Amino acid sequence: MRVGLVGAGVISHNHLPHLLRLGAEVRVYSEAGAPELVAAHGGAVAVSLDELLDWAQVIDLASPTHTHYALARQALSAGRDVICEKPLARTDEQADELVELARQTGRHLYPSHVVRYFPAYARLQGAVRDGLLGDLAVLRFYRSGGFPVRSAWFADRDLSGGVVLDMMIHDLDIARWLAGEVTQVSATWTRAGDAGQPADTGQPADTGQAHDTGQPAEASHVLLTHESGAITQVSGVWGAAHLRFTTGYFVAGTGGTLQYDRAADRGFVPDLARGPAQGEAVPETDPAEDPYYLVLADFLGAIRDGTPTRVTAADGAAAVRIANAALRSARTGQPVTLVAGAAS
Amino acid sequence: MKIGIMSFAHTHAASYARLLRGEPDIEVRGADPGPHQAGEVRGAELARQLGIGYADSYAELMAWGPDAVLVTSENANHRPLVELAAKHRAHILCEKPLATTWPDGLAMVQAAREAGVLLMMAFPVRFASDFARLRAQHAAGLLGQVVSIRGTNNGKLPAERAWFADPGLAGGGAFADHVVHIADLVEALTGAEPRAVTAVSNRKLYADRTEAETGGLVMISYADGAIAAIDCSWSRPASAPTWGGLTLSVAGTLGSVDLDFFGPRARGLDAATGRPIELPYGPHHDVPMLREFTSAVAAGRQPQPDADVGLRTLAVMLAAQESARTGTTIAVRPI
Repeated sequence: MRVGLVGAGVISHNHLPHLLRLGAEVRVYSEAGAPELVAAHGGAVAVSLDELLDWAQVIDLASPTHTHYALARQALSAGRDVICEKPLARTDEQADELVELARQTGRHLYPSHVVRYFPAYARLQGAVRDGLLGDLAVLRFYRSGGFPVRSAWFADRDLSGGVVLDMMIHDLDIARWLAGEVTQVSATWTRAGDAGQPADTGQPADTGQAHDTGQPAEASHVLLTHESGAITQVSGVWGAAHLRFTTGYFVAGTGGTLQYDRAADRGFVPDLARGPAQGEAVPETDPAEDPYYLVLADFLGAIRDGTPTRVTAADGAAAVRIANAALRSARTGQPVTLVAGAAS
Repeated sequence: MKIGIMSFAHTHAASYARLLRGEPDIEVRGADPGPHQAGEVRGAELARQLGIGYADSYAELMAWGPDAVLVTSENANHRPLVELAAKHRAHILCEKPLATTWPDGLAMVQAAREAGVLLMMAFPVRFASDFARLRAQHAAGLLGQVVSIRGTNNGKLPAERAWFADPGLAGGGAFADHVVHIADLVEALTGAEPRAVTAVSNRKLYADRTEAETGGLVMISYADGAIAAIDCSWSRPASAPTWGGLTLSVAGTLGSVDLDFFGPRARGLDAATGRPIELPYGPHHDVPMLREFTSAVAAGRQPQPDADVGLRTLAVMLAAQESARTGTTIAVRPI
């Protein structure tokens, strides 16, 4: 299978090696960093987007959020199947249009909500599906890491949607996956310090060194009410550069509770004099069961064999809708009502 | 120093009595007039078990001339007891929340002020050594500017006393029971004024035990730009080995600190049933709280947390209840 990867930033290092391992032929197009990415993992560089679209069967978008819509539209219109990093698009209308375009063209469209493939979250969903927790009542999710200063678009809320659309959308998606459609969204959002003008190197972040004195931070809390009556809290922080990537959940239902904390539930705890630097742009994963591999395997399998995927384009659009409702609520200061099941 | 305990309705009355009764120079006497819920050990019998003196009525307790009182009644009954104590010039340690309505809270603070008695709120968690460390690190600038606070105060629906599940006497459900502790910790940490509150709730857990909300999530926006979220749900199953706990995660521009106030515990398994054994250890936060109260009373200085903290945390709790009821964000009333 010929896969055209667009973008050569941090997350592309979590796409390219897995695509190659899955047996795909890969060419990479990016405004910057493609030769270095290919040198690190393999594949080939495409000199233009047109070349990539002509050559590839599948386009994998690992480009900035605000570019997803136009690129996905172009690829779908050219008859290509599309895998897209989350969020599926920056706006609700764009996401809906992509879902509709995929339907019309009969092409595959998959948003990479990779957290559904992280073992602790997959296990939770399995337990909920099997009724272990009974009727879900209260769900709580949190996620934090260093402010992504590696590329300037993250700090521009118009382009990225900030911590809500870039990071917390993972947990908003998980909450909907577990507890069903969302009818009301409210949010608080805050930012401190100067987001600065960090260099866009297209390279993995030199974590922990760049800006221990710059101190931009952004945080948000989001409350959801589900159609089922369950309630969810999602909290996110983009903070100091040295922060480890922290995620966790607590879910309570009539049948019991389940909780997970990445910092507490670790199977490998090093304490070495010459250990790796602190800070992570993406969480470290177990290579034997790497969620970034599993999500791409799921999508390429579906494209090849027509098998169902764990996450669909409609799920991606629904997550965008919830995240944008949160941004709207944070702006207006009042809860936002969603029409249940409006996900197309 | 003579200390009166006004009502044994709250389970904390017994733990305060146990801690105070052995103190030199402190004499403890309780009053807990009935009628009492069937099956609950109350009144003279509980006083006898606790080894403290007993008065048959609040009037008799006041006639004893206490220097100070602990008000540990049902939440909705704090006001008349605080007013009575103030009238008799007794300093007051009031169980949380201060009151269940805004007029009650204002009247109590007014009564204490007019009588010239000290009014302190019983928020023991802020006296934990770990919280003192957090405050010191925050004060030293190690966290930078605080942007986000996550607090959880999850427990079982209190079973030792039936009134906790009665929204009339408790002033609500999970919001009334658990929002104020974390609101107080933020108060003690940053001192920022709470501005707006949004909350959601449901009644899926313990639905057979109460008409009040058992699940509750609250967001607070502060004047300094920080935002907090509190899970105050009674989401600990009744069968759990311990009552629950309280955690706080504070994120600032220079880093974050996580606290688990009741977390440290020896863990194991019961061989007969396979059920977890959890044996929490560590100091009792009530000890330094009571010491702050009694030493302030002895010295005639205002202890902390004071009446204003009681009112501000009450305002947050009431805003949470109103927000969940109306589906809107509520401005926190200024004091």
